[in-house]
Amino acid sequence: MENEKLLKQLVNSDPIRNAGPTRRNVLKGMGAGAVALGAGMGLPRMAAADERALAMLTWDGYVDPRVLDGFTDQYATEVKYELHTSDPDSVNKLRAGQTKIWDIINLNNPWAREMMWPENLIVELDRARFEPYFDKMLPMFKAPYKWAMSLDEQHLLGVCQRVDTFDFVVNTDVISAEMGKDEGWDMFNNPDMKGRYGILAYDNWNIMHMCMGAGLHPFKMKTDDQVDKFEATARAWINGAKLISDDFVAINLALINGEIDMYFGGGTYSISAARMDGLKNLYHVVPKSGPADGKGGINWIELNSVVNNPTLHSKAFDWMEYILQPDTSYYVGTAGGFLLPVGQLSDPAVLAKFSKEELDSFQWDEFDYRIEHAVEYDVVPDYNRLYDIYTAALREKA
Amino acid sequence: MASTLDAPTPPPLPQPTWLQSLGQWLRQPGFISASPVLIFFLIGFVGPLVIVLGFSFLPERTFGFHGDWTVDNYVHILSESYWIPFVWSFGLATATVACCLLISYPVSYGLARIFGRWAAPVMLLLVIPLFVSENVRLFGWYLVLLKGGGILAGSTQALFGFDTGTLLYSPGTILMGMVYVYLPYTLFPTTLGLSLVPRDQMDAASDLGANRWQIFREVELPIAMPGILIGSLLTFVLAVGAISEAKLLGGANIVVVAHAILHEFTYAQNWPLGSAISMFAIAITGILVIFIMRRLDLDRLLGRK
Repeated sequence: MENEKLLKQLVNSDPIRNAGPTRRNVLKGMGAGAVALGAGMGLPRMAAADERALAMLTWDGYVDPRVLDGFTDQYATEVKYELHTSDPDSVNKLRAGQTKIWDIINLNNPWAREMMWPENLIVELDRARFEPYFDKMLPMFKAPYKWAMSLDEQHLLGVCQRVDTFDFVVNTDVISAEMGKDEGWDMFNNPDMKGRYGILAYDNWNIMHMCMGAGLHPFKMKTDDQVDKFEATARAWINGAKLISDDFVAINLALINGEIDMYFGGGTYSISAARMDGLKNLYHVVPKSGPADGKGGINWIELNSVVNNPTLHSKAFDWMEYILQPDTSYYVGTAGGFLLPVGQLSDPAVLAKFSKEELDSFQWDEFDYRIEHAVEYDVVPDYNRLYDIYTAALREKA
Repeated sequence: MASTLDAPTPPPLPQPTWLQSLGQWLRQPGFISASPVLIFFLIGFVGPLVIVLGFSFLPERTFGFHGDWTVDNYVHILSESYWIPFVWSFGLATATVACCLLISYPVSYGLARIFGRWAAPVMLLLVIPLFVSENVRLFGWYLVLLKGGGILAGSTQALFGFDTGTLLYSPGTILMGMVYVYLPYTLFPTTLGLSLVPRDQMDAASDLGANRWQIFREVELPIAMPGILIGSLLTFVLAVGAISEAKLLGGANIVVVAHAILHEFTYAQNWPLGSAISMFAIAITGILVIFIMRRLDLDRLLGRK
């Protein structure tokens, strides 16, 4: 039975993640071969205890070497990962059978509660073990925290860490932050702004922002008339954009050099590194009001969950606890040049690790305002219909 | 003698059946030797294409081979505005080939006939950029052409007191980027083609009274044509699939075919529609390639004739 389990583990390891024939990989491969052979020949069980690497499907916050190496040092387990293309793309990977490959998945808030748990793609966490961590987080995460719980509020589905809003960015040398907050999404409806703004093409976010611009709640089902409104806004905004790019470095360069004066979608996620380099005129704006229950901003929360893997890594739950430690929280909040707030910033020990410049890079002083004026990210119910309109507008851009 | 003439004709030898012929063909040493490569080719190249083809006949937004077969995706492509990305991709690819030929012919002529010992260093200079990722090179152009603090605009501002303004986000800039990226793929086959033109034939034509234009048209161009065609074909096929130039230098103000496919495979999660657009692009490119290959004499190019 042990041998069969071991062989399944070997079969389920994803070769894509073992990138390239490095010396280490070759040795590991030889080791794995020896283990498999040993298992078959009845070698001592100790040889079979050498488990595969922990496999993680994630956004960029958890691939920082400080995060990965810290776990390896502490738990003697390597971590392999793949970065998402988009939230739904990764959910579809699990749906397509990749639960056999991954142990950990890190996604934005709605997917665990509304899709992955009902579809049996993730497993629950031990509430007694993990809920005390929620009590130490920012007040918004007080247990039982809605987005970490199943719809029936009985099962804990993950732990939260990175959190912020994602709306639009202005160059304050041209447009004041106050003006952006007051005018909100109508800034992009103003014909005078045609050719003066860009679109950061994170398409699923663009759909939500265009709903806001059309005066629609992005997370509520739309009538045909409302869809027509969405289409009019999508076409006007796309036709009025000077550039559309999925590269925030390119779009920030365009903003800095005067090609454009503002862009959506954007936020601390896209500008914190530039602000850290001294470009404080790049500013993330959350409108003071909007059509989503009176709010104009959109608040995302990343949730880390354990995949329902039939051969789950024995250290998967330890990873969940590891990322909530003060040092790791700081590393995640400053990972790979993305400086972002983490839920653990309410802990003085974590807050003390961030320098004043780092806090300023993600506009920490305005964090409460942003959360207060933002609706929580959710699944767009008529996404497919709206996305087809969006891509048609892109193709037919005048 | 008469008995010989009257002898009945022998019965015809039995013709091998279709299956026997196939069996004989499969037992040929050439086929047996090539079979590992053939299997690799089938698994690695034909297999994925068959999967993409299969997906293109599935209902929208399905992720496995279940559900009823349908041609809805193809109908959708024909009834919606997907012709626009096709026009952009094939138009830009055609313009890229034309520009690359105009630039590469004189350079190739120089490399084949004039530069002499300098040909190798020039060739090296042309090859070196290929060692750098296409995206990095295009981002370099982005920094050069950017308004305000861009390298070109900043330099003209500092040296001559005027800003060039924005040079990005137009079809012209996309074309420039494509010509820059794909020029080597036209240049090297063209150089090979021109180096195959025997000097003696050109001298003979000249001795017989042909002028420079006649030598070019009657001798040089026909002999170099296979190289030129292969270079053009290679450039065209690569350029049809180009995406980075339109996204980065063009600011995605136009959507090319590869970008339309990308939309469907990522944010739309509509693999069947993405597959159908891919098959359309493959079919159109394939028809063009077959048309050109029929005009190409590979034996002559490889010197076997």
